[in-house]
Amino acid sequence: MMPARLTAATGPNPLQGAVQLVSAIIGPDLRGSSSDDPTRPVNCDWIAALCLTAAVALLLVVAGHAAGRRAYDVTPLLFWPGVILLVVPISLRIGWPRVARGERLFLLFLFAELLLYYKTVYAPTSFVGHDEFLHWVAADDLLTARRLFLSNSLLPIGPTYPALEILTTAIVNLTGLSVFVAGTLLLVILKGTFVVGLFLFYEAITGSPRMSAVACLAYMGCMTFVVFDSMFSYESLGVVLCMLTFAVEAASRDFDPRARLRALGLIALLLASLAVTHHVTAAFAAFYFAMLAAFEALRRQGSSLIGTTLAIIFIATLAVALPVLWVMARGNPLSGYLGPAVESGLNALMRKFSGGVTHRPEVNALSQPLGMRLTTAVAVLLLSLGLATGFFRSLALAASSGAPSGWRPIEDILKRRWRDSRIVFLTILAFGFPVSVILRLTQSAWEIANRMATFVFISVGLVVAVSIVHFWQGRDARGWRRAGPAVALSIIVMGGITSSSLDPIRGRYKVGADQQSIEAMGIETARWTNEWLAAGNRFTADRVNRLLLASYGRQDVRVRIVAGVDTALLFEGETLDPDILRVLARSDIDFLLVDLRLSMAPPVLGFYFEPWQPRHGKALSGSDLLKFNDIKGVARIYDNGWIVIYDVRGLHENS
Amino acid sequence: MKIPSQRDLRAALLWAIVMLAAVGLSSNVLLRTVLVAPMVFFVSGHAMLRAIGIKTSSLSEHLAYAVGASLVIGISGGFILNAAGLLTPLGWASWFCAITVAAALVAGRRSDAPDLPPWPGSVPVRVWQGTAMAAALLLASGAYALAVHDEATYRQFNYTAFWILPPASGGPARMTVGVRSAETNTQRLDLEINLDGQPFAVFRSLTLAPGETWSREIQIPISATSQRADARLYRPDDNRLYRSVSTLVPRR
Repeated sequence: MMPARLTAATGPNPLQGAVQLVSAIIGPDLRGSSSDDPTRPVNCDWIAALCLTAAVALLLVVAGHAAGRRAYDVTPLLFWPGVILLVVPISLRIGWPRVARGERLFLLFLFAELLLYYKTVYAPTSFVGHDEFLHWVAADDLLTARRLFLSNSLLPIGPTYPALEILTTAIVNLTGLSVFVAGTLLLVILKGTFVVGLFLFYEAITGSPRMSAVACLAYMGCMTFVVFDSMFSYESLGVVLCMLTFAVEAASRDFDPRARLRALGLIALLLASLAVTHHVTAAFAAFYFAMLAAFEALRRQGSSLIGTTLAIIFIATLAVALPVLWVMARGNPLSGYLGPAVESGLNALMRKFSGGVTHRPEVNALSQPLGMRLTTAVAVLLLSLGLATGFFRSLALAASSGAPSGWRPIEDILKRRWRDSRIVFLTILAFGFPVSVILRLTQSAWEIANRMATFVFISVGLVVAVSIVHFWQGRDARGWRRAGPAVALSIIVMGGITSSSLDPIRGRYKVGADQQSIEAMGIETARWTNEWLAAGNRFTADRVNRLLLASYGRQDVRVRIVAGVDTALLFEGETLDPDILRVLARSDIDFLLVDLRLSMAPPVLGFYFEPWQPRHGKALSGSDLLKFNDIKGVARIYDNGWIVIYDVRGLHENS
Repeated sequence: MKIPSQRDLRAALLWAIVMLAAVGLSSNVLLRTVLVAPMVFFVSGHAMLRAIGIKTSSLSEHLAYAVGASLVIGISGGFILNAAGLLTPLGWASWFCAITVAAALVAGRRSDAPDLPPWPGSVPVRVWQGTAMAAALLLASGAYALAVHDEATYRQFNYTAFWILPPASGGPARMTVGVRSAETNTQRLDLEINLDGQPFAVFRSLTLAPGETWSREIQIPISATSQRADARLYRPDDNRLYRSVSTLVPRR
């Protein structure tokens, strides 16, 4: 070893200096003041000013949508300043040091509701998201039949998880509101409860309202927060129940045995509800509690903490057993639903990395405007920076030694001495973030990344918050140390918005683009079927019109002509294959709806019918779509110049 | 400041009974919503938290847990009412009322129930602050109303829908023909119907204003073989075939 004297004499070793620098940046030093001044009052000046700013911002967003519908050039100039005005001021205030707990929590709650408003105003009178239609149809069926577990051809797994429909129809039954209004009211409550639950969870494990608020803001950078988890869909309810379970468990860890037992009762009820609400969220809750139990079992601890460990093992057992029992009771419909999605996603990813030929043109971020892509990329970079500078600090936060600097806390963790297993597990779970970014590289694996992000960001939020409070802002944040991290948080939240959808501005009709393909003519045609053909006819059509027929038209839509034969085979192709015609004649399908707008352009999402079908780089031709005109037994009963309905019941008589 | 331990439970009991009465007796959507929403999202869960004896340290924590417990009550109610065949408005109202009353009674008998969390201290709001918040609320509501109006009035595609429907099976031998205008101007149209290639009916100069629908039921002869009815819509202004639809008339 080189003597210190000699080192001093020959000048600093550059390698050693670099190691010290890196250690200072990513090392476990905790030098921030994580607590707020408890006596600091809520600043109503700020709250009032932010409310007014947000309202102006929402007006600009609404104006942006109106201009977008008419394809005006001014659209982005209205919409994006509105979004920036919505996000930046409130994020800056929430992320600012020395703000009262109550003010932070109120602003977080307000911000979550504002973002829900932002999502809802895209289509202010009806659901337009693909998944929203599936649950809307299920809710309508429940209202009509007054029975649970009705089959849903668009979402076969849906009847197994009816909690969202139960709550929505309860409100509809009790109030007389429409499904859309009742569902939106439910979403308002869910969004607010989620963010409060998230805040309480972070606060329980970090002990700091400031760190909790910063973590919640970082969580809002998740690609699912603004749109996907705000949809009228079962995961929006699932994540709330999941987060409340985590919050109750974390808050009750230091209770006396009697109080903890009562908290266990509430946790058990929440877990039971989660088991019948959403499969992936219930699986994540089971994973979280199982890992927590494993970390508790690993932890070196005194006998006084055995009660806590036993409680966590009991919760983990419930979290695993309840969803499994429910799925078994319902005949295990889950493997057939999730299995193919996971398999195709992983296969697509493997093909991507092995350089193999992909048969499906991928829809990716290249379809977005440059500004949106840049914002997402900068947000991902900032999150990565936060994770790099927060990882060891977050572990140090959990260490039992309490040493504020040096690598001693990490040594403690390696020796299985930590004070809170939740922080250790969540910190390690942050590795899921780079995995989810990689999974976004292909369309098929993007679905997995999307579902993962909701949960991975719970840990990302924690680690980034630790990084900001203990590294970037430090003990006495002044100057750039005060403003820089708050601006970075604003960009992270902006990244959550830009990554949440392909095109957040309401625009003109687009082909095969789910919510961007929903417009008045398609809706009115679906309503026409209900008015003139009555409900319950067996229809098939492209993906978007199927949704409209099932919801507005109350028709019995089919994804396949018969089992194993996709409807795409009917519509694609210059002529109708005689075998397919025979299958159609023997099927029970009554009507085909042909949307000639499909011939206007290739589908934005890459498919006209279902995601698992071959992707289209070019548009279908109008003559291909109209080939039914000349088939004996088929009658063209409806035509509005764009949409044609064929009655194929005559084929059944001939078969 | 702590809430006296029983007052909230009495309020929950009263709320549950009034809500049940409103659902049973009134069809006023606003009244029912005002009474039902707090019950479905908070009151029932609050009573349940008090019955279980859950300890909470802040108002925000209590509110979040109460919402969670209310969701649990709603979800479990769905399964129980389904088993009983009572997924009806009165069934739901009775469920929430029964759970709230039972939970409030249990909570009222508890001697070891934890206190409710303290209320946060009041925050003085100055006139300009209150005005700004009210203006923000008005502005946001106005923006939403604007969005609703724009959604309802704007249409990208203007069209004329034309249809012909066969007689309903087992019904009278009448086919239906109809036209609906979703154009921006009033349209004048001629309509011709052929049955198995032979002229059958003609309607001249149908005038349709935007949003208007014209339809007729037409008596047709039913024969031993199925027939094909073709309907054509012409625009007299340019005398060109505008729309064409057809249907199969089932045999006797």
